[in-house]
Amino acid sequence: MKTPTTLLTAGIITILLIFALGAGCTGTAPDGNATPTATGTAAPGGGGNVLRIATTTSLENTGLLAELERVYENETGMDLQFIAQGTGQSIDSGRRGDVDLVLVHAPELEQQFIDDGFGIDPRCIAYNYFIIVGPESDPAGIANMDPVEAVRTIYLAGTNNTAGVAFVSRGDNSGTHNQEKVLWEQAGYDYDTQVVDAGAWYVEAGKGMGDTLILANEQQAYTLSDEGTYLSFADRLELVPVIAEGAELLNRYSAIAVNPAQHPGVNAEGAAEFINWLTTNETKEMIGNFGTEEFGKPLFTPLYAPECTEPPFNCTCTGEVTG
Amino acid sequence: MVNGNPIIEGLIEAIELIVTLNPQVVEITIRSLYISLTATFFAALIALPIGALIYFYDFRGKHAVVSTLQTLYALPTVIVGLVVFLMLSNIGPFGFLRLLYTPGGMIAAQTVLIIPLLMGLTVSALSGIDRDKRYTITALGASRLQTVITIIAEARFAVMAGVLLGFGRAIAEVGTVMIVGGNIRGATRVLTTAIALNTSMANYSLSIALGIILLAVALGVNIALSLVQRR
Amino acid sequence: MMAIIEAHEITKVYGNLRVLHDVDLSVGKGEILALIGPSGSGKSTLLRILDLIEPANSGELSVFGIDVVQERGRWLDLRRRMGMLFQRPIVFNASVYDNVAMGLRYRGASGDVIDRKVKEALEAVGLSRYIKSKATDLSGGEQQRVALSRVLVTDPEILFLDEPTANLDPTSTATIERIVTGLNRELGMTVLISTHDLSQGQRLAHRIAVMIDGTIAQTGPSHEVFREPKDRRIARFVGAENIIPGRVVSRSNGFTVVEAHGRQMLSATPPPAEEVEMVVRGEDISLHRREPGHEEAENRFPATVTGIEPTAPFVNVTVHCGCDLVALMTARRAEALGLHEGMQVWVSLQAKAVHLIARGGKDR
Repeated sequence: MKTPTTLLTAGIITILLIFALGAGCTGTAPDGNATPTATGTAAPGGGGNVLRIATTTSLENTGLLAELERVYENETGMDLQFIAQGTGQSIDSGRRGDVDLVLVHAPELEQQFIDDGFGIDPRCIAYNYFIIVGPESDPAGIANMDPVEAVRTIYLAGTNNTAGVAFVSRGDNSGTHNQEKVLWEQAGYDYDTQVVDAGAWYVEAGKGMGDTLILANEQQAYTLSDEGTYLSFADRLELVPVIAEGAELLNRYSAIAVNPAQHPGVNAEGAAEFINWLTTNETKEMIGNFGTEEFGKPLFTPLYAPECTEPPFNCTCTGEVTG
Repeated sequence: MVNGNPIIEGLIEAIELIVTLNPQVVEITIRSLYISLTATFFAALIALPIGALIYFYDFRGKHAVVSTLQTLYALPTVIVGLVVFLMLSNIGPFGFLRLLYTPGGMIAAQTVLIIPLLMGLTVSALSGIDRDKRYTITALGASRLQTVITIIAEARFAVMAGVLLGFGRAIAEVGTVMIVGGNIRGATRVLTTAIALNTSMANYSLSIALGIILLAVALGVNIALSLVQRR
Repeated sequence: MMAIIEAHEITKVYGNLRVLHDVDLSVGKGEILALIGPSGSGKSTLLRILDLIEPANSGELSVFGIDVVQERGRWLDLRRRMGMLFQRPIVFNASVYDNVAMGLRYRGASGDVIDRKVKEALEAVGLSRYIKSKATDLSGGEQQRVALSRVLVTDPEILFLDEPTANLDPTSTATIERIVTGLNRELGMTVLISTHDLSQGQRLAHRIAVMIDGTIAQTGPSHEVFREPKDRRIARFVGAENIIPGRVVSRSNGFTVVEAHGRQMLSATPPPAEEVEMVVRGEDISLHRREPGHEEAENRFPATVTGIEPTAPFVNVTVHCGCDLVALMTARRAEALGLHEGMQVWVSLQAKAVHLIARGGKDR
């Protein structure tokens, strides 16, 4: 065992030999372009015709993204790639420059993202409401309360070990999770010290919205959901909306491009074009109608100027961006 | 969807999806096969020669290397996913390749995942050639190169079995492809991640259909494996 | 006879285990040498070293007159002039044809030559009909014949056989023995065969080397090794039933007089020491119903039969005459003598059948 070059050559030759000999079943990898849909190709990231969008599971789960993707890809030929991660993670992907655009719903995190110089050209697109869903029997008795009072009641009932009271949290730093945290804070509890370890009644799912709803349904627990995901899952759930009103439950979706000054590799042009498309009246109309057929009511309400610049929205929803 | 048992209905719809060659099902299946086969190919290209070198060379710490490889057989997929994610992310050393959230990145991750398995199994496949056979080869007048070739050719079925096992592990894993691929519809969504997603969306029929296909692939690998091992 | 292999003070160590030491061996061209010895005595290791499959740790070795310790670079060429058949039938996971062709392919023979030689060789071992079969599907005996033809197609000048028939049926054994002796006689092929089967060694070999505990204890023609073992271990291994301690008391008329258990015996061996052991093969001891004449043998004395043990077609008869002696005779002869336990008989034993070795030598 002395001559390394001979052995190395031998190794390489014989590996090829082995493949030639019998590994036909593993050796014939199909050509990457042979996938039936054109979108299957392994296009390099950052390329001109691929736009990568980090977004929230609540949008993905409603089916809105698939619809937007279908229409936009038909119109422009751009390959939209949605990565559903939850808002916190999506914004982190944007900070790292791993995506070109984020489509999220957590105003505070969004502002931070923009203030830190990573996000540019924010445009709010549409909104709906978060709802607190729970078992029809409403064991904590929160029906007709305002949202903050309702979560305070759930907290008290939970810490008193009231039978049947449980709350399932997303627990994944998503937009919905952030909204939930805001509610606890408004109710007067410190989230990290008082809520997270409050007892067995407080369950952290660590999953997307759909999974969390299914978990809450299995456990007959309360949970905070966006309206869209709840509606698209309603036929598989016994949970009912318990609290569906209140300005605290506003759920606003925004698109923010990743700053090419921070990450030169991102597809800034594509991001700008997509944002501009999202803010056209035709797109907003489409978003406003989405779900009507299937759920009997729209899942999202598009935002128009000047309404969007006023409270409670306080955001920009028009104006061409240039990337 | 509301009426009846969702599992039975899902199963029926799943079979429909497969029988009618639903484009989404076909696309995801082909992508899964493409990514895992390519990863297996590259892993074999790297692991087999190195495995052979480990076997044919006597060096200090050889035993430790082999045991380390065997430990890495069970390398948790999410750990590989995390590490490859950090490597490929824009903040990582290979960010410039822009491979994150692409099939290329998933291939890289699965390649990394199964290299130890292929390497270790190559070493044990070659070790399976007993001493008397090696003596016979030498006695028949084989040069060093001819010896190496004969031993590898003799172990080809065992090596192939290792490659098949590696492919089985690659196509069945969800941890790395979810983290590194991002489960992008039409780009990086593969059988396992599609099952995870569609289950979370309560889209059981599609999940079941993809699950049946994944099982069939695993079964196919096992059949191939037993055919190979019988030789 | 020119020596084709010369080994001197060969030593081989595996880890802490000393497998060979002080091995001296010379093999003549065209000779059949049988290496006999118990299992684990180092026969296989020695053959591998002589076939240049693995190096010795120390010692001198020349093959075909070439000092192979100096000329490591020529090992492959020299090895290609030799061939070895192993105890366990070794075939590779390929067709019988490809198995037999291996050695020729290593030597870069042309396709035509390979084709012709492989077919001839398979014809010779009677396996032509299996030429396309997978070698691993054959029986053990058939596999060993494939292995033999695989060696023979390369026309080795020296053939090493490591217990080649240990696992085979009598027919396959006879086939292989016939082929080997034929090759030796017709082509002058040098053959080294290791075996633990004494009769096989005797049958095939011109000369026998006895290997015990990692070294060659005695070399010589088979009758010499069998009749005149150099020490007690060899005597035991070659199957001498009687090893009786005694001391030399005098020499007379070219005979050595040895006293053992109060009885004097004559031996034709010159005394190797004062304290000796008499080595007597069972078949050299004759039993009689009445006292035999002095022309029969130098040693004659009465004894009592104490045991009769059949080992078909022979019987071992133990007699007591101050010391215990075991005589080996045919069952028919024992029947004719009407032997039974407690019977008084006469023992006759020729002086040249009493071989003397020094006592307290290498004994284990």
